[in-house]
Amino acid sequence: MRPDPGPDPSVAIPEPGAAVLPAYVLRVPTGPYRALNPLTKFVIAIASAVVAFGVRGWTGPLSILVVTAAIALIAGVSRSLRRFVLATIPIVASILLVNAFLYPGATDVLFRVGPFAATGTGVTVALQAVLRVIAFALSVAVFSLTTATDDFLADLERRGTGRRLTFVIGSAIRTIPTMGSRAIEIVEAQRARGLDTEGSIRRRLRGIVPLAGPMVFGSLGEVEERTIALEARAFSAPVRRTAMRALPDSSTQRALRWVVGLGSLVLVAVSVAGRFPLP
Amino acid sequence: MAWLSRQFSTRVIVLIPIAIAINIVLGYTVQTILKLPIYLDSIGTILVGVLAGPIAGALTGILSNLIWQYAPGIGGGTIGPFAITAGVIGLLAGIWGQLAVYKSRPASGRQLILAAIAAAVIVIVVVIPIINNPAYTDPNNGYPSWVYTAAAVIAVVVAVVVVGFIYIRRDLAGLWVAVAGVVTGIIAAFVSAPISAIAFGGVTGGGTDLLVAALRQGGSDVLHASLGQGLFSDPIDKTITSFVVFMILSGLSGRLLARFPLGERLVRDRAA
Amino acid sequence: MSVATGTLRLSGATYRYAGARHDALTGVDLELAAGSVLGVVGPNEAGKSTLCLVAAGLAPVVVGGRLTGSVTIDGRETVGMRPHELAQRCGILFQDPQAQLSGTASTVFEELAFGPCNLGLPLGDVIDRVEASLATLGIAALADRDPARLSGGQAQLVALAAILALRPDFLVLDEPTSQLDPQGTRLVGEALRDLARESRTAILVVEHKTSLLDQLADRVVVIDHGRIVRAGPSAEVLGDPALVELGVEPPPRVRVRAALAGAGLRTPDEADQLLAEPAR
Repeated sequence: MRPDPGPDPSVAIPEPGAAVLPAYVLRVPTGPYRALNPLTKFVIAIASAVVAFGVRGWTGPLSILVVTAAIALIAGVSRSLRRFVLATIPIVASILLVNAFLYPGATDVLFRVGPFAATGTGVTVALQAVLRVIAFALSVAVFSLTTATDDFLADLERRGTGRRLTFVIGSAIRTIPTMGSRAIEIVEAQRARGLDTEGSIRRRLRGIVPLAGPMVFGSLGEVEERTIALEARAFSAPVRRTAMRALPDSSTQRALRWVVGLGSLVLVAVSVAGRFPLP
Repeated sequence: MAWLSRQFSTRVIVLIPIAIAINIVLGYTVQTILKLPIYLDSIGTILVGVLAGPIAGALTGILSNLIWQYAPGIGGGTIGPFAITAGVIGLLAGIWGQLAVYKSRPASGRQLILAAIAAAVIVIVVVIPIINNPAYTDPNNGYPSWVYTAAAVIAVVVAVVVVGFIYIRRDLAGLWVAVAGVVTGIIAAFVSAPISAIAFGGVTGGGTDLLVAALRQGGSDVLHASLGQGLFSDPIDKTITSFVVFMILSGLSGRLLARFPLGERLVRDRAA
Repeated sequence: MSVATGTLRLSGATYRYAGARHDALTGVDLELAAGSVLGVVGPNEAGKSTLCLVAAGLAPVVVGGRLTGSVTIDGRETVGMRPHELAQRCGILFQDPQAQLSGTASTVFEELAFGPCNLGLPLGDVIDRVEASLATLGIAALADRDPARLSGGQAQLVALAAILALRPDFLVLDEPTSQLDPQGTRLVGEALRDLARESRTAILVVEHKTSLLDQLADRVVVIDHGRIVRAGPSAEVLGDPALVELGVEPPPRVRVRAALAGAGLRTPDEADQLLAEPAR
């Protein structure tokens, strides 16, 4: 299954006068932080998540919170963060209530609300957990808002990720909105026909089949056709695929990726071993 | 290696993104528009596992979670860390696929009655010791006693529903599908509990957090409360999902199924 | 464009889908020579789509099933070829424009480049082929558009251009205009006419719209229940009134002439000439 590598087509520089890719294909991202290579941004996002969840205590999540907020400011996406933070409200509320009042084994009561007692231990755990969740949400937000999926996939492809994985991710991301509108159409049509989206649980349960049926069978019915279409475009050719777009990268960024990636793992290991010096 | 390559034929590569989209769109729709306390976000994962094998199934689950978390326009929420659970669900589905669990097994009257009796006996044999064993009701390591009564009631209800399914469709597969669903749900709960405890303070942000609160009130620690919530919702959700997948598979043409690596096992005895 | 040589030939081709009880095609003999256009008509469920898949080699190589007889491209059996080799020799276009696009390209340019990139061609070659395809079908203006947002006719042209980018010697079209509105049909029809005229690509086109075949095809075959029942020059086959009994609607000029003759009128030669000319 090892394909014959051949000369790397994306590295070959066309001679002057030879054909050049139009700008709307190259789509080189610009702007502070956005211009970074997609893999760099992804490594930063994953490392942030790892540190936020893996370094126990206050320092881990707080530092990630500060770092991601700073990146968001630099990249100019801070206003769009609101949506991501708001999406965490349900779980934040749950974390606060359940852990503050019902933390097992805690006895340092701070105050009482009716029959429930809020404990110091519980509140500390709750606040730390909330910080972790928000730090994680921000790290995700910063990546989503500054990195186009196309760019990420194109860069992965240039690095040697197989065409099948990049196809799966790219196709999934483009199929979701299409299927989403189809789902909305079906729900609207069912509502017009009397489907209850509010009533009793049993009625709503019965409502799943008329929705899921057409959507699922419709898309599964396309599998054969799409398979033939892909094969007709030489999708299974056993060669290294030509990577058209090349996102800029640099040795500085490569070093940064290693430092950030390994650093996050070291921090987590130190924290797990109980030797993390900061609270 | 050839086995791995066959799991990722072009047909499977076409199926996976569709399955990912089904996971996310159905999962989102069920959770927000229909507002039901189940997720139904693993239908695509299990479908791919059953048709294409464990690695393909695991990949579908993992990618579904990562895409739902990170993709621009779609991303957000807190589902990302549970990619591990989704991967496990896909892996298990691949095993069920190898074992042809989802194959239709039409049966006659006598076999159905025997199967129904067997199912009832299994449930009784498993449930009674749990209710009677005092060790399980020890706070700090187990759950308050009402949990076990509730579990027994749920088990009986599930058994009745499954037996009814087997009877109405005259298909023994109902039994195997139910077992697959329950086992998947239990394993998923065990995988998710530590993730929830470490990352999210032992809660999920959904209505089932009331259950978490009740369990903690009864004396369970963070991990056990999380596990208890999972053991309540996951088996139910995964069993419903498994039956949905079974209905989907029986509605697909044999011709379509046979072209998938494990699809052949599903149609071996079919008429057309 | 391509300097096509050779022939696509089916000899006694009999094909049955996997798990099917009956043959979908029986004893089909067909020949598609370089530079010619062959039309295929027939009632529904006659096997026209199967014929397309078999001619392009996709059945049985991708779809499975069993083929007896032979299907050869330039003398080489299609059953022995891998899908990507078939793709470079015989392109195929289906009815649904969006289902046959890759679904991963942000611009039409990248959509057209999908095939050549799959072949691992050097970047310069990829760009050349994309630009050539855009020029051949006159769709350079669509190059920066999102393929998912095109009209049916435009998407079908993009799909066709994407196939042409693989430089196949043969082209199989399975009802390319059936899902298009009249404007889309006209768009695609004109593009096919120009393509047939200017390149040496051999084309096999299945169509219900016999008026289109009237303008495009040199020869036409009629297929029914998996067998070829009529074959001949297009004017002759399409002008045959017996076509109606086979469930195929003859082109307008034939219907008009038949109607006039039925009314007892003799058509003067000039009217004949007028009716024979392609509609503008």
